[in-house]
Amino acid sequence: MKKRVLALLLVGALSASLLMGCGGSGKQEAAPETEQGTTEEGEEAPADAEEAGEAGGAGSDTLTFGQAADPRSLDPAFADDGESTKINTNMYEGLVRYADKSTEIQPSLAESWEVSEDGLTYTFHLRQGVKFHDGTDFNAEAVKYNFDRQLPGNATEDMPYAGFVFAAVTEVIAEDDYTVVIKLSEAQTPFLANLAMIQGSPIVSPAALEANNGNVTNSPCGTGPYKFVSWDTNQAVVLERFEDYWGEPAKIKNLIFRIIPDNSARVIALNNGEVDVIDGIDAMVVDQISQAGNTVQTDEAMMTNYMAFNTTEGACTDVEVRRAICQSLNIPEMVQTLYQGYDQPATTFLPTSLPGYDSTIAPPAYDPEAAQAVLSEKGVTSLHIITYSVARPYNTVGGQKLAEAVQGYLSKVGVECTIDAYDWTTFKEKAQTDTYDLLFAGWGGDNGDPDNFLNLLATDDISMNYSHFSNEEYNQLIADGLVTPVGDERSAIYTECEKIIADQVPILPISHSNFMCGVSPRVNGFFYHVAQATKFAAVTKN
Amino acid sequence: MLHKKQIPAEALEQEKPESELHAIWESLRGNKTAMFGMVIVILLVIVALVTFFAEVLGVQILPYDPNETDMTASFVKPCAQHWFGTDELGRDIFSRILDGTKISLFVGFAVVIFSLFFGIIFGAVAGYKGGVVDTVIMRIMDIMLSIPGILFAITLMAALGKGLDKAIVAIGIVAIPEYARIVRGSVLSAKESDYTQAARVIGNGDLRIMFRHILPNIISPIIVRATLGISGAILDTAALGFLGLGVQPPLAEWGDMLGRAKGYIFAAPYTLVFPGLAITLVVLAFNLFGDGLSDALDPKSRKR
Repeated sequence: MKKRVLALLLVGALSASLLMGCGGSGKQEAAPETEQGTTEEGEEAPADAEEAGEAGGAGSDTLTFGQAADPRSLDPAFADDGESTKINTNMYEGLVRYADKSTEIQPSLAESWEVSEDGLTYTFHLRQGVKFHDGTDFNAEAVKYNFDRQLPGNATEDMPYAGFVFAAVTEVIAEDDYTVVIKLSEAQTPFLANLAMIQGSPIVSPAALEANNGNVTNSPCGTGPYKFVSWDTNQAVVLERFEDYWGEPAKIKNLIFRIIPDNSARVIALNNGEVDVIDGIDAMVVDQISQAGNTVQTDEAMMTNYMAFNTTEGACTDVEVRRAICQSLNIPEMVQTLYQGYDQPATTFLPTSLPGYDSTIAPPAYDPEAAQAVLSEKGVTSLHIITYSVARPYNTVGGQKLAEAVQGYLSKVGVECTIDAYDWTTFKEKAQTDTYDLLFAGWGGDNGDPDNFLNLLATDDISMNYSHFSNEEYNQLIADGLVTPVGDERSAIYTECEKIIADQVPILPISHSNFMCGVSPRVNGFFYHVAQATKFAAVTKN
Repeated sequence: MLHKKQIPAEALEQEKPESELHAIWESLRGNKTAMFGMVIVILLVIVALVTFFAEVLGVQILPYDPNETDMTASFVKPCAQHWFGTDELGRDIFSRILDGTKISLFVGFAVVIFSLFFGIIFGAVAGYKGGVVDTVIMRIMDIMLSIPGILFAITLMAALGKGLDKAIVAIGIVAIPEYARIVRGSVLSAKESDYTQAARVIGNGDLRIMFRHILPNIISPIIVRATLGISGAILDTAALGFLGLGVQPPLAEWGDMLGRAKGYIFAAPYTLVFPGLAITLVVLAFNLFGDGLSDALDPKSRKR
């Protein structure tokens, strides 16, 4: 008897989900009123209701975003990738934040702040009455708790931004409930901009951190307009409006990030109405998206798609070989073919909009004959490439195709390449554990500061510095840049860094890209922030 | 099965073996679909051999170098210069498909030889020895059979890594149990036959009986299975390639071409259609030929 009841229930649940699925797709054309019937059935099978929601079945109170890969971590201290940023920016807030369309600093959890004249003491006056998603209060102790875990000495190796943001912090003092004083060992020009990043600095509920052994990736808890509901690995991350949010509450109740690794599948999902917004699209699908009545939105970005040479192991330790490889690649031609004019060929690591960019600096230009001469003289006949298989915001065609294009050029100068392509998470691990000659990566600016880019090649962290580049002159310039106030002098330092990169070629810049998104006409107010953030609180859907 | 083994034995007594071959050929020739399959197979083998020797000798007979990229000519629609168009890196799809023939056929034959070799040994020993040996070997085969083939191959590939050689081993291992079962079944019936008994009475050793007397008499079901196995192996390789597990780029493997083209199904369908057609054609040809061969080798269904 029990079995029969169970079977009946299962059948019921299945048919309910089927009905809801159909209702969903039908609704795309029909009037939104038709939802009523299906939501009632949803009560019998709440689990299915969620699934159907993922399929875009729900109306204007659910927005689904399709992205290519799982986030690395939903704890901001452990995340460094765009996939995590897009989600975390909706759940977490830092003391300060960026303006909507620029990297100008605005108050967020701190209402105001003072910086001492020597630039060593920052005093933040916190917003009162802010609650974490778990109901606990946000206060100075919470800030101290969050920053303390990332201070030098406390930070673990898997906190990619701890060093970047907090390396110079000596002490975090909770003066009273709503005043935090941060002391630095040396002046740091980008410190405020760093605190506004969605990586590293956002404030996590201390209670949640205590309960989860200091890493809330599986039960995120912040102060943002959306709170965490569930994360089904490689399927979806589901968020829900946080009703006790201190600011303007989110317009849309449910926010779902669906993981759809395949580019064309993501486009089809958008055109079917299963998802409302997708990113990581490439030029090949622009027509397909616009023909289906959706819009292709291009937002300005600061992103660089580059190839890293392994400067500590293998053939590429020789700077002559690195230069020859640069000469063997026709970057403008390759970028034009792969990205069809939507991305610009790059000559520098810094995107063109950042201070310090100099258009006269460029790596060795295309010259296959010279390249072949050097490479054959040095006896370089084979190289090992590590790359990622999925599309990334800075490389919309995916790392495999880019690697194969490079492989094609290199084979013309007598160098055969083997390519190992991994999914994003595995790629990040392999980049640290495997040996390679060439590696494809990219960087999306987080804070509009040139240090945020160029610092990558000065750090010892091999999960950031894929070239394992270590150049004393360069490191000194980066250190100087940190303490120099914004201005021409500082920009000149970064221009100097760029010159070293063009000369030593630890990396070869390939392209600067824009954020390309496919957006359903039902969605209003969506934009991609330059710092890779997709804030959905103000987005509406009809 | 029981009758089949006696026919060749009788045939041996009555006539010369050529007439047996002749009868098979006559039967095959009468079967139009099988002949169609055979002609295609022969054509493909010729294409594969020619491209292989041209590559060894360094002669360029394909219209373009199949692996050479030309970024200025990506996504050229099928035209006089590029019959099947070009892919995203500007490689000529027609040349790549011709070049892929030798890869696919090579994999197909290599896999079958690999699995046939081990399958015959395991099957023959199990069938001939019986008892504990039989139980142990065949239960292991059953365990292997209980895992879906392609899943098993994917797991092996994940463990072994990318590469054509590894794909051959992975797909070959997966196919062993099928051959072992066929061989064991045939050996079981053949070992009780009069000629086996006679061979034993004369004083032949086990090995000699197994491989000299039994094996030649059970070869027809094995040949049929092997012919069909080639198409299965080609299909499995394509599946692995499609999933991105098969070959190291830029090798022109059809499944790999298909897999990378799937993103362009709307924008540039020709990148997808032609590799798909090539796989279909080869698999169809081997299946038709295999079916015809199966009929021709089976005296009961043979048309005289």
